[in-house]
Amino acid sequence: MAAMTPGVLASFVHIDAATDAIRALKAQGHTDLTVYAPAPNHEIEEALDHPVSPVRLFTLVGGLTGCAAGFAMTFWMSDNWPLLVGGKPIATVPPYVVLGFELMILMGALSTVLGMIVMSVVNARKRVPFSERFTDDQIGVFVPCRADQAAALEGLMQRAGSVEVTHAA
Amino acid sequence: MSHAYTPSQTHAEVTRDVVATLGAPSRGYVMMLAGAVGLFLVGLFTFVMLLKEGLGLSGYSPPIMWSVYITTFVFWVGIGHAGTLISAILFLFRSQWRTAVYRATEAMTVFAVMTAGLFPIIHIGRQWIFYWLLPYPNQRYLWPNFKSPLLWDVFAISTYLTVSTTFLVVGLVPDIAAVRDQVSGWRKKLYAACSLGWTGSDNQWRHYTRGYLYLAALATPLVLSVHSVVSWDFAMSIIPGWHGTIFAPYFVAGAIYSGIGMVFTLLIPLRKLLRVEHMIVDYHFDNLAKLTLFTGSILFYAYAMEYFVAWYSGNTFEQVTFWRRAFGPMWWAGWSMIICNAFVSQLLWFRKIRVNLTALFVISIFINIGMWFERYVIIVSSLSNDYEPWAWGQLNPTWADWGILAGSFGWFGMYFLLFARTFPIIAIQEIKETIPFPRKRGGH
Amino acid sequence: MDETQESGMDRRRFLTVLGVTGAGTAALSGCSTDRVQKLIPYMVQSEDQVPGIPTYYASTCTECASGCGLHVKTREARAIKLEGNPAHPVNAGKLCARGQAGLQSLYNPNRVRGPRKRLADGGFADTPWADGVAEVAARVSAAGGKVAVISGAGRGTFSDLLAAWTAAAGGTVVRYQPFDHEPMRAANQQVFGVNGLPSHDFASARMVVSFGADFLETWLTPIENQRGFAASHGYHDGTMSRLVALAPRMSLTGMNADEWFDIVPGAEAAIALSMAQVILAERSSAPPDAVALRGMLAAYAPDQIAQQSGLTADQIRLLAREFVSTEPSLAVAGGIGSQHAGAAQVCAAVNILNYVAGNVGKTVRFGADLEAGDGYAALAALQRRMDAGEIAVLVVHDANPVYALPKSAGFAAAMAKVPYKVSTALVLDETAALCDLILPQSHALERWDDLRPRAGIRSLMQPVMEPVYDTLPAGEVLLRVAKAAGGALAGLPSGTWDDYLKAQWQAFGRSRGAGDLASWWVGVLAEGGVYDAPPAPSAVRLAASAQQVSGQSPAFTGEGEFLFAPSASPMLYDGRGADKPWLLENPDPVTKITWQSWIEVHPETAAELDIREGEILRLVSASGSLEAPAYLYPGVRRDVVSAPLGYGHTNFGQYATGRGANALDLLAAPGDAAFLPYVSTRVTIEKTRRYQKVAKTEGSNRQLGRGIAEAMPLAAAARGLTPEEAHHEAAGGPAHEINTPRELEAIAGFAAAQKVAATKGNYVGDHPQWGMTIDLAKCTGCSACVTACYAENNIPTVGESEVLRGREMSWMRIERYYEGGHDGEPLETRFVPMLCQHCANAPCEPVCPVYAAYHTPDGLNGQVYNRCVGTRYCSNNCPFKVRYFNWFAYNKKAFPEPLHLQLNPDVTVRARGVMEKCTFCVQRIRGAQNEAALAHRPLRDGDVVTACAQACPSSAIIFGDRMDPESRVARSAADPRGYHVFEETNVRPSITYLAKVLHGAEA
Repeated sequence: MAAMTPGVLASFVHIDAATDAIRALKAQGHTDLTVYAPAPNHEIEEALDHPVSPVRLFTLVGGLTGCAAGFAMTFWMSDNWPLLVGGKPIATVPPYVVLGFELMILMGALSTVLGMIVMSVVNARKRVPFSERFTDDQIGVFVPCRADQAAALEGLMQRAGSVEVTHAA
Repeated sequence: MSHAYTPSQTHAEVTRDVVATLGAPSRGYVMMLAGAVGLFLVGLFTFVMLLKEGLGLSGYSPPIMWSVYITTFVFWVGIGHAGTLISAILFLFRSQWRTAVYRATEAMTVFAVMTAGLFPIIHIGRQWIFYWLLPYPNQRYLWPNFKSPLLWDVFAISTYLTVSTTFLVVGLVPDIAAVRDQVSGWRKKLYAACSLGWTGSDNQWRHYTRGYLYLAALATPLVLSVHSVVSWDFAMSIIPGWHGTIFAPYFVAGAIYSGIGMVFTLLIPLRKLLRVEHMIVDYHFDNLAKLTLFTGSILFYAYAMEYFVAWYSGNTFEQVTFWRRAFGPMWWAGWSMIICNAFVSQLLWFRKIRVNLTALFVISIFINIGMWFERYVIIVSSLSNDYEPWAWGQLNPTWADWGILAGSFGWFGMYFLLFARTFPIIAIQEIKETIPFPRKRGGH
Repeated sequence: MDETQESGMDRRRFLTVLGVTGAGTAALSGCSTDRVQKLIPYMVQSEDQVPGIPTYYASTCTECASGCGLHVKTREARAIKLEGNPAHPVNAGKLCARGQAGLQSLYNPNRVRGPRKRLADGGFADTPWADGVAEVAARVSAAGGKVAVISGAGRGTFSDLLAAWTAAAGGTVVRYQPFDHEPMRAANQQVFGVNGLPSHDFASARMVVSFGADFLETWLTPIENQRGFAASHGYHDGTMSRLVALAPRMSLTGMNADEWFDIVPGAEAAIALSMAQVILAERSSAPPDAVALRGMLAAYAPDQIAQQSGLTADQIRLLAREFVSTEPSLAVAGGIGSQHAGAAQVCAAVNILNYVAGNVGKTVRFGADLEAGDGYAALAALQRRMDAGEIAVLVVHDANPVYALPKSAGFAAAMAKVPYKVSTALVLDETAALCDLILPQSHALERWDDLRPRAGIRSLMQPVMEPVYDTLPAGEVLLRVAKAAGGALAGLPSGTWDDYLKAQWQAFGRSRGAGDLASWWVGVLAEGGVYDAPPAPSAVRLAASAQQVSGQSPAFTGEGEFLFAPSASPMLYDGRGADKPWLLENPDPVTKITWQSWIEVHPETAAELDIREGEILRLVSASGSLEAPAYLYPGVRRDVVSAPLGYGHTNFGQYATGRGANALDLLAAPGDAAFLPYVSTRVTIEKTRRYQKVAKTEGSNRQLGRGIAEAMPLAAAARGLTPEEAHHEAAGGPAHEINTPRELEAIAGFAAAQKVAATKGNYVGDHPQWGMTIDLAKCTGCSACVTACYAENNIPTVGESEVLRGREMSWMRIERYYEGGHDGEPLETRFVPMLCQHCANAPCEPVCPVYAAYHTPDGLNGQVYNRCVGTRYCSNNCPFKVRYFNWFAYNKKAFPEPLHLQLNPDVTVRARGVMEKCTFCVQRIRGAQNEAALAHRPLRDGDVVTACAQACPSSAIIFGDRMDPESRVARSAADPRGYHVFEETNVRPSITYLAKVLHGAEA
């Protein structure tokens, strides 16, 4: 793990221990924490209290674009090659609703995934230490800090109930 | 949730048990896989023959221009729906019992739709130009006819395949990461690549949970629309027995019904095969069975309505069609559909049966057969006696029909089995979500 | 993978043929290498060969004895279609299915490709013409007069030459046709002292009674009969004639009858005489010499003969009174279907009936002298001489006696006794197979020839193309042999056959005082012959022998409880049609069975014997047995079984050999009878408990009140009611159904959509709207239109196995629906020609994902073959089920060389995997539009004639522009009888059917 962000990484088994630590750190003004968990957890979310993810905007924009694209394509193509079938109008709304709908869902979904990836990458902190237990059964809390703060923070973690604290210099 | 599902397990045990399913395959598994590949080869051979000689090899006899292939197409599309229902709709309803089974059903969805997607290509007269149905730019500006239900189908199915695949993959990422951190060697490298650098950091979870919610929100109307569109392939026509206004809900219910049937057929052996009996338990099957009972009863109503409307309409074409559906040359198909679907599903009123896996497995086989016959009856018997009596005819399927049918099961089974061995067939992180973390202050 | 490029005959292939001076044969016949040397490109364009422009030649049909006139359509030196010659008095531009299929005898893959000689081992080997001719010459001159010729050729220059040739060789000629109407001629001799066949005027007959004469199928001149019948029986101006059929089996003629009585077989004569008796008894103004018959007729008073005839005395009286009161009337007899031992007496009795009713000279016209051969008796006499070893050389021309006579007659054995036998057969048939030398004659479309089918008509044949194979006109062979043989034969003209024929015509021209022979000849060629007005009917009087006419019903041989009454198939005729795919696939008009022979059993009889359709039955007679699948037919008497003639060839090419069973196998040797009694033996039915699917195109034969084939009483039609009004009147309901608001909305929406459409792309502006009317009162179900459609549109024949799966491709099909027939009410048959209705609201169009099916500006329901991907949704959604799918590459199987030369270059040969259907002959529409454009004139009504309308002998089909109020189609569509099939679906067909009209209680 070369050139890791210097800081303290603590592992927790108990959920309330982890949230205590997070609250304590935030109280001390440490905001850019990285908290690992094997599964999403409301208590951690509350403790961190992040704003709502902007992914939903991607969904909205993608969906609307898809719907518009669906109608635009069908109407333009019908008009571009006008053929009479079954005595029906050349271009007409009811059958094209299906196309508009399907494209809305399609592009909505794809842009949502795009959003998830983009947002996760954009806000991701680089070179944060990580332990394989975090995808298994432990919660990890990492707080970046200067060497001189490390001791104090390690103490804080242990007091909160961390089972293991490491200092990445 | 009052009747919350709380397995006596810790997060660590969940990880171990699920990762254990990815171990070296058992003999039974290998034999099943071999069987699936064999069936697939049968289908492949048949398809090559169709390309070489022509569609005439199968039993089509005008006026029956669609038969076994379209029947099987609708059958597989239907199978898909249960998966999305369980993974997306029940997710929105926050029903916990889905967590243990949804990954398997979602995989079933993707592979079922993959199978169904082959049929529109297999069944057309000139398979080598199937892409003419797509609105691709060409120098003569020839565009497809968006008024045709078949084109709606193209869009609905391809959208469905894309979205359900995305949904499956997104759900997999954290679990793959979990597996990554348990295994070693080349497998670790493989899963590391598939895990897209997942660490489970608060930032990732934050966007992930949101995105997943919206995907579910999009998949929900999609699953309802797809089988409606498929039903409109028939309902938009003027064929008596096809152009029914109840077709969309009727088909959606049937789709979910058949889908859950297939879930039983797959899960009941699978949980033994993968030794996860303690994770997928009565509680799940009970709920699935209730869903089956519900949709089965909707079918019961729909069948009744079809006959009632035919009689009540006073339209001689409708009346003759439905009279012949029940008492004509194809009475046996008509009745096996009604018995297998409308009546057999009613057994599930009894909890004893809902939690008796043997019974459920047998019933699920009936459901699969019944739902295949439902489509066969709707398509073939309606076409065999429509407006012009002089043109009436009967269908005699041939080896080419059965070859493709068998091949489709092989193709599906092949993918499903491979998936079950390669990726967590039980959603690790969602189960963990249902297991509270231990607390230092009391509690667990 | 798209077969369009590889299809049997595409444009490129035509151009290669075109690049060859006439000798396109080089492109297809390996046996004529000498022609290949002469390949040279056009330096100067030959004047009658413009690429892409068809050339028409007048000729004459040789598929039966009628002698109908032909117009042969050729493209790039290939005959591609046969149509009737409008100038010809017999068929007036119409042509039956058999006649049109003559093209498939020209291009038949089974034709003998050159002279062939019998080898020691029994096989055949090619031999040069010179050797063949020399050999025959040697044999003939060595025969010392022991020469005999059997010729099926009609009266004409050739038969004259043949007579002269045989006379010079000291031999005898027997002119033999299997269906030769000997009984009629015998009867005419007996009753009127005239040994000839009169012409019959169906057009002016107000009432026709048929005593088993199948005049719409095989009797005398079917096309002429049908034209006349349709003209008088087709409803017009509140009236129509009336047809009563008396026969144990309901033939196509019976199906078109207003009343059919399944009389006791053999009772025809008694009934006819009984009617005559009634007439004479009740009518004062009978011809004086007829009165003398009163005594003889007294024995046939209705009450005497009623119970053994199958009719009640009252029915006979009613029939007789009606017959005499509707003038002129016409009684006909002598059909193959009722040709029993007493047939001559039936014809004689009918002669008397016509005579006493005063029809002779009006609707029965002697002096017309219709074509007839020497009859069976002459052939039998020759056979006896062959048996006696009195024949050294036998020449068989245009005849197949080994097949046409019952095996029991032993003609093959007699042939074995003849040391040397020569055949001129086109196809190696049963007779030719027994010969020592085959000198294949050129097809009628490849040679100069002529026919005199009746007094006043000389009909020409001219070569329309190079011979397909290495063949010669039989006349040419005769002349060459004569030259080589010398002796008495040297007296024959020395030139070629062509010179001889032209000399004859020049003589004829001079005799008619033609000034400039050359231009006269050109005129004759264009006309297709010389047609004088029919001679005035020669007056005939009763001969003394008329007194001997007897109504005795004949004895039938054999024990069985069922009488065997074979039917003459209108498709296969005497069996010569069995090698033509078009005729085998065109369903039998009565049973709708293709590619198979069958046994007709009455449903009640079948129920008694527990016979289901398709059970293979064995009919056993004293002389033999035959096996065929059962077909339950309500139109046959309960004590009669029937099977079609013409099947069961043992040696007649790939299509005919071994197909079906030969009905003649059941018949006893006719011995020295004057004719072959087809209805002569009783049979027993043996069940085999084996089953075979019957290759029929009939799904349900009941229309379940769906108004597909509408009919209305004459009275209602005369009052100008619509079929709907007639129904409501009969039912006593309201005259009109009221459209619901939704329906009105849909109808209005249609109009709106048209307005929108008319502002876009090709739809802008005025266009014709093509439409068609089909008069069911005229349609007889003859199915000539079906073959016309196959020929015009390159429709592939798919064969028995595919028909069994319902995959026949007939764009035009004739549906045959039954009405009644239950609990006592009479069985009524209705025919509906069903083809693409070119709906304005076509359900097939919007469902096509790629616009392969779309609506053209001129109202056609277009089908773009090379755009079609084959989803087949269009066919599912078609209420009329008139779309046909290429399940296999039919285009590769259906046209084996040289059959592919028949293909119409103006029409795509459809590839595998595409949908096809009737296009209203769009190629003809565009052709006519181009012609009009070149001539700077607007398209006139009648410029476009679809193939089906052109062929229809009843003129039941009218095609044209519905937008032009003056057009025939618009005016006929306005007929109150007009209706649309499945009108309730609001698909707006472009085809209007005119309801059939029924003689109701008023008769």
